[in-house]
Amino acid sequence: MNSATLQIKKRLKPAAVIQTIAAVAITVIIAFPVYWIFVTALKGNEEMLVLYPTLWPANFHWENFPQVFERIPLLRYFWNTIFVTACHVVIQVAVGLPAAYAFARGQFKGRDIWFLVVLGAMMIPHQVTFLPLYCIIADLGWVDTYAGLILPGTVSAYFIFMMRQNFRSVDQSYLDAGRVDGLGILGTLWHILLPMCRSSVVTVTLVSFINGWNSYFWPKILCQSDRSRLLTVGLVRLKESWSDTSMYMHYNVIFAGLLLSILPVIILFFANQKHMMTGYSKAAMK
Amino acid sequence: MPQELKNRSAVKPLKRRNGKNDREKRYEFLCILPAITLLIITNYYPLADLFRISFTNWNLLNADYKYVGLKNWAWLWKDLLGGGRVLNAFGVTFVYTIGHMLLLIAGGLLLALLFNRMTRTFSILRALVFMPKYIAASSAAIVFLWLFNTEYGYVNFIVRQLGGENIGWLSNKTLAMVTLILVTSWHGVGYDMMIYLSAMRGISKEYYEAAMIDGAGRTACFFRITLPLLAPTTVFLMVTQFIGSMKVFQSVDVLTGGGPSGATDVIVNNIYQLAFKDYRIDRAAVVSILFFIVLLVFTRLTVKWTDRSVNYDA
Repeated sequence: MNSATLQIKKRLKPAAVIQTIAAVAITVIIAFPVYWIFVTALKGNEEMLVLYPTLWPANFHWENFPQVFERIPLLRYFWNTIFVTACHVVIQVAVGLPAAYAFARGQFKGRDIWFLVVLGAMMIPHQVTFLPLYCIIADLGWVDTYAGLILPGTVSAYFIFMMRQNFRSVDQSYLDAGRVDGLGILGTLWHILLPMCRSSVVTVTLVSFINGWNSYFWPKILCQSDRSRLLTVGLVRLKESWSDTSMYMHYNVIFAGLLLSILPVIILFFANQKHMMTGYSKAAMK
Repeated sequence: MPQELKNRSAVKPLKRRNGKNDREKRYEFLCILPAITLLIITNYYPLADLFRISFTNWNLLNADYKYVGLKNWAWLWKDLLGGGRVLNAFGVTFVYTIGHMLLLIAGGLLLALLFNRMTRTFSILRALVFMPKYIAASSAAIVFLWLFNTEYGYVNFIVRQLGGENIGWLSNKTLAMVTLILVTSWHGVGYDMMIYLSAMRGISKEYYEAAMIDGAGRTACFFRITLPLLAPTTVFLMVTQFIGSMKVFQSVDVLTGGGPSGATDVIVNNIYQLAFKDYRIDRAAVVSILFFIVLLVFTRLTVKWTDRSVNYDA
């Protein structure tokens, strides 16, 4: 609304200045916790228990970072998280894309009924089924293993649904042309549909990646040792490795660990800002 | 029979062109097979198993269990009637969901109005507001745990500067819920802002120009044009985020663990505690089933509401 009125009257109106100042102020408040991670991670222990917290560290305490590695095997957590998340994304895409294609363009019997099975699965969240799932995985002896962590994330009904919507919007004549040239299902997918829906594929895959990287509920239930522990759960463990009172003094080390763990996601976010923001909302509106 | 054969031969050449033969159809079915199998293993089978478990006396301490009929359901019934932990958990979840949705929708709309300028500065500001979405909710909760710390947190430092006294953000029952809602809304509000912004950009400028010629002010423009035209977006955000907000767990687990004295004991936390702290898998199962039914009812209601909602042609 504002922009419409402002654009008519053009240029540096007081209203525009006020709007900018207000927007900057709100952004400062919202971004403050993230700023606080960076600052606190570099503060010394003596700067934690003060009644006048400073906005900038008195000295840069880079030794907080090595201290993280003394308390928890952070690199191991990183590797676990990367491996499990990569498996989630790769399997979700490998299983989801052909299914999405078959649901969008297939002519096999019972297609719509099977699609209802996919839609129905979206109504059954893991927060409801985690108990029996845990029992199944315990029976398989997969507690505290990669396999157990990976299994529930191998398929995403949401991914299949989103990609099916995208594939349906591709004109049938492209697919017919591909058929004339002798492309099979995978060929059509690879040479026609993926290039045409590239931005949606990237977006939906990024969302899968972020969801995997930030998942907490299932890893909390399943991880019992450092062998399989993921970053999110590991950081809470880092915090709990101190008793309540000495924890306060060591929040700088905890924040150093936090900083290391969110850095990849923040870099990914600013590197792919366009996909991560406009793409995300476009994907949601379809 | 001959009639049918005749028809078939008439249709066949047409079908050849667009239709696919059985082999291709079989391949297509093979394409969905892995997905369907995995969905059955990870979603449908566990759901069915949940019902089975609800009739046992299974706890994690003994390997053996036997079927005890409706005993767990009787326990649940008693709890709900007597205002026990489960009833409390549903109430807490409901309060949280309402508060969270209100803050997301109102906050998202206000932010969208404020950040609706197409300059480079504003695009950087929008990115910064959106960024929290990509930080794990559990990690964000650790940050806020320190920010809202009673003695040394920055929030209470500001409160003291303003002449107040230290506030126990997470030890007071009401404030713990307020803090929880603030933290999770901080996490999600940038997304709502982006959705509102893209919807607002879809509104034709002609509406505003016409309104201004008619002498309408900015406030009138907002309430008469922007807000009604955003109604479908609001409904969309409600429908997609309501269910997700009922499933909140990460932030609760790290921030309060359900306390103080059950004030933030949301339903997923309640199930988790029943199963892995009390080791009562059987009781956790009945609560899970009830939660599932509640989710289904709300999904149904929201879908119905969407159908009925006003749909302006923007």
